[in-house]
Amino acid sequence: MIFNSLTFVVFFAVVLGAYWAMRSWDARKNLLLAASYLFYGAWNPPFVLLLVLSTAIDYVAGARMAAATRPAARKAWLGFSLLSNLGLLGYFKYGNFLLENFQALLALGGITYVVPKLSIVLPVGISFYTFQTLSYSLDIYRGQLQPTRSFRDFALYVTFFPQLVAGPIVRAIDFLPQMVRARTAQPDRLAWGLFLMTLGLFQKVVLADTLLSGAADKVFGFGGLVAGLDAWMGVLAFSGQIFFDFAGYSTCAIGAALCFGFSMGDNFRAPYAAVGFSDFWRRWHISLSTFLRDYLYIPLGGSRAGLARALLNLLIVMFLGGLWHGAAWTFVAWGVVHGLCLVIERILQAVWGDAAWTERPAVRFGLGLVTFAVVSLAWVFFRVQDFGAAMRMFAALTGLAGNPGTAVLPMREIAQVAVVIAGLLAIHWATRQATIEQTVARLPGWALTGVWSVMLFSLILTQGNGNAFIYFQF
Amino acid sequence: MHSSTSNSEFVRPIPARPWRGILAATVALTVAATTAWELRARAQGYAPRLNDTADLWAEKRSEVQPDSLVLLGTSRMLFDVDLDVLERAFGRRPVQLALVGSTPFPILADLAQDENFRGTVVLDLVPAMFMAPDGFLMESSLKALNRYRQWTPAQRWSHELAVQLEQRLAFLNQEDLTLAKLLENLELPERASFHPPPKLPPYFYSLDRDRRARMTEQAATIGHPVQQRVVNGWLPLFTPPPPPAHIPPEEFRAMMGRAIEARFVETARHIAAIRARGGRVVVVRLPVQGPLLQRENELAPFEPTWGRLIGESELAAVNFADHPELSSFILPEWSHLSAPDSVEFTQRLVPHLQEALHRETQLVAQRKGTVTTGAP
Repeated sequence: MIFNSLTFVVFFAVVLGAYWAMRSWDARKNLLLAASYLFYGAWNPPFVLLLVLSTAIDYVAGARMAAATRPAARKAWLGFSLLSNLGLLGYFKYGNFLLENFQALLALGGITYVVPKLSIVLPVGISFYTFQTLSYSLDIYRGQLQPTRSFRDFALYVTFFPQLVAGPIVRAIDFLPQMVRARTAQPDRLAWGLFLMTLGLFQKVVLADTLLSGAADKVFGFGGLVAGLDAWMGVLAFSGQIFFDFAGYSTCAIGAALCFGFSMGDNFRAPYAAVGFSDFWRRWHISLSTFLRDYLYIPLGGSRAGLARALLNLLIVMFLGGLWHGAAWTFVAWGVVHGLCLVIERILQAVWGDAAWTERPAVRFGLGLVTFAVVSLAWVFFRVQDFGAAMRMFAALTGLAGNPGTAVLPMREIAQVAVVIAGLLAIHWATRQATIEQTVARLPGWALTGVWSVMLFSLILTQGNGNAFIYFQF
Repeated sequence: MHSSTSNSEFVRPIPARPWRGILAATVALTVAATTAWELRARAQGYAPRLNDTADLWAEKRSEVQPDSLVLLGTSRMLFDVDLDVLERAFGRRPVQLALVGSTPFPILADLAQDENFRGTVVLDLVPAMFMAPDGFLMESSLKALNRYRQWTPAQRWSHELAVQLEQRLAFLNQEDLTLAKLLENLELPERASFHPPPKLPPYFYSLDRDRRARMTEQAATIGHPVQQRVVNGWLPLFTPPPPPAHIPPEEFRAMMGRAIEARFVETARHIAAIRARGGRVVVVRLPVQGPLLQRENELAPFEPTWGRLIGESELAAVNFADHPELSSFILPEWSHLSAPDSVEFTQRLVPHLQEALHRETQLVAQRKGTVTTGAP
């Protein structure tokens, strides 16, 4: 079930109404768990079993780890959790990718062997819920979390439908404490949750799907060389589309959770106003970047073992971060480009880090625009199907192709992309130091009413065609 | 240490605004705007009707039984053939799987690959569309097929809800009144190097749950603005786009030639697969008139396309042009029959279809080595 569907509207209204009508906290949690399984099963019912299996593995591993007295036993249970979770993820997400690369490797050695293509359907959201269950086991192993005794509570943490399929990746440490005491009904919180859901859907359905995806699809779907202007507008359109699509989902998830009384942290904070790449990753998909920082970068040694080792760690983390997004070398390339940018930034900081001129507003604005431009260009690897298409796109962007290319975008769509991206950048720069709550608190009531009404009416006008969110495939 | 049972918990702040009043005012404003929009749509002549979505198509595809009578083709099959008349003639209600602006080739292939299917296919063959190797004609069929193959329970439920709303609200018109379509109407001066792709003609029919399309009265009235919009849409739509700049012209022509040759071969193979299971395939050519007829013949000369397709598979075929009683209708916009005429046309078509099916039955039986005189 996707948020931008009529089914979800009915589902959400029924579950929300029943939830607040119940008096027993246990009954409410049972309802949320059943609703979450229904939400997930509405895609592909058999995959609910996989979700239950993944939940059971870490529930058992967590309990056994906490009960174990010998370090070796704790390590063994952690190993069990890691192997099981990463094994499931590896099979479903990377099975064919590994086989294809094995075949290519053999071909390099002169051995012709055609591996059988596995018929694997990727379970929606497996990358997200696998990371959630992993974080539970890892936090218990590190002594930062006591396991929950309630399987139901743990299962609800894993399957909680607002964030189940596309994040934010919620840590058990942040979510399980919220299940101890009954959530109380607060009309203001409910209204604010509904506002956030509207904002998230508006970002996804109106801005990403209606105003930007057409231009991105035309440019990236064209088989040949596109004209330079079209290439730039296509890249900008995809930069906006991926932000509105993913941030829209996160905003919707945060809003839906709030309606039930649960709090989840921000997943995006004005990322296109980032100054530098470390700043970008503090603002983009925050729940993933902090996951990779806490469970990969720091265990690898972080920056504790000198600059060279820190740079290598950054590259390793971004390589794996790229691979997490999809089983293709183009995603790896996207991750490595970000890794290299982080490395260059770290070196430049070592050289100029203390220089006063770097703090001048004009310089920071310029650096922000450079960051946005490089981030947008890196999205090319994320969006293309293969490296040939990426090279064609860069040739069009730089004018190095030797011919003017084909114009594929009507002026109306070019104008549409220009207006939306200019608005996006203006809003990100205007709110780069503020949370959404602080921004909204400054708006007068009439303005909020107007904005909310326009968003709702625009959603009705689009008549939602139910495009899936881009991040579902991850 | 954090504990799952500790009392410390993260709480999102709520902006201090009068939320209840804001919510109430927002609901009131949105309801008012939506009501105004609905009234405006009705004032413009729109009426509640179903959208011809991939979900509705998937619903019909899932109704195909092993021995179903299935209609494939383009918008002509949707507009020109009356399901009630066919049901009375053949004793079973046909399943309408034709799609507006499509090549039915992928749907034919899908039925050929469906091991359960051994029914009857009536294929509306517009050679210029059937032979299209890719582009939007192919995409519309593939989109519908993909929805059928990957139709999730959630999508089915959303479809059910959408049908209920579409039957009641006129503004829920995905061909003309979505935000995306409204934006498409904004035209800015174009670059000389940009060649806009053709657009499908807009809203001009109603559709029921069985996917029976009926031309609206406005579209059927010569001189009405809606009829003019439709008529003016055909020739650009049937004008092939310039060859892509990134492929040398000779190479492109060779590619197209190979793709068309492959289409002939694959079509014969799919028809043979359906026949091998005892199924039957007959082909019809539905009326077309005026400059559009000429354009179609220029795009896909009749004999090398229709003639070859029919000949290679020894298909029983009904060509409207061969029968005065089928070619005597006036098509208001050159391509489709008006709703009343489509009923009359289908009644006249039935005897020809019965004869064609009879011939096909005999042919299939001969190939199996048995002779039958079974009724169609």
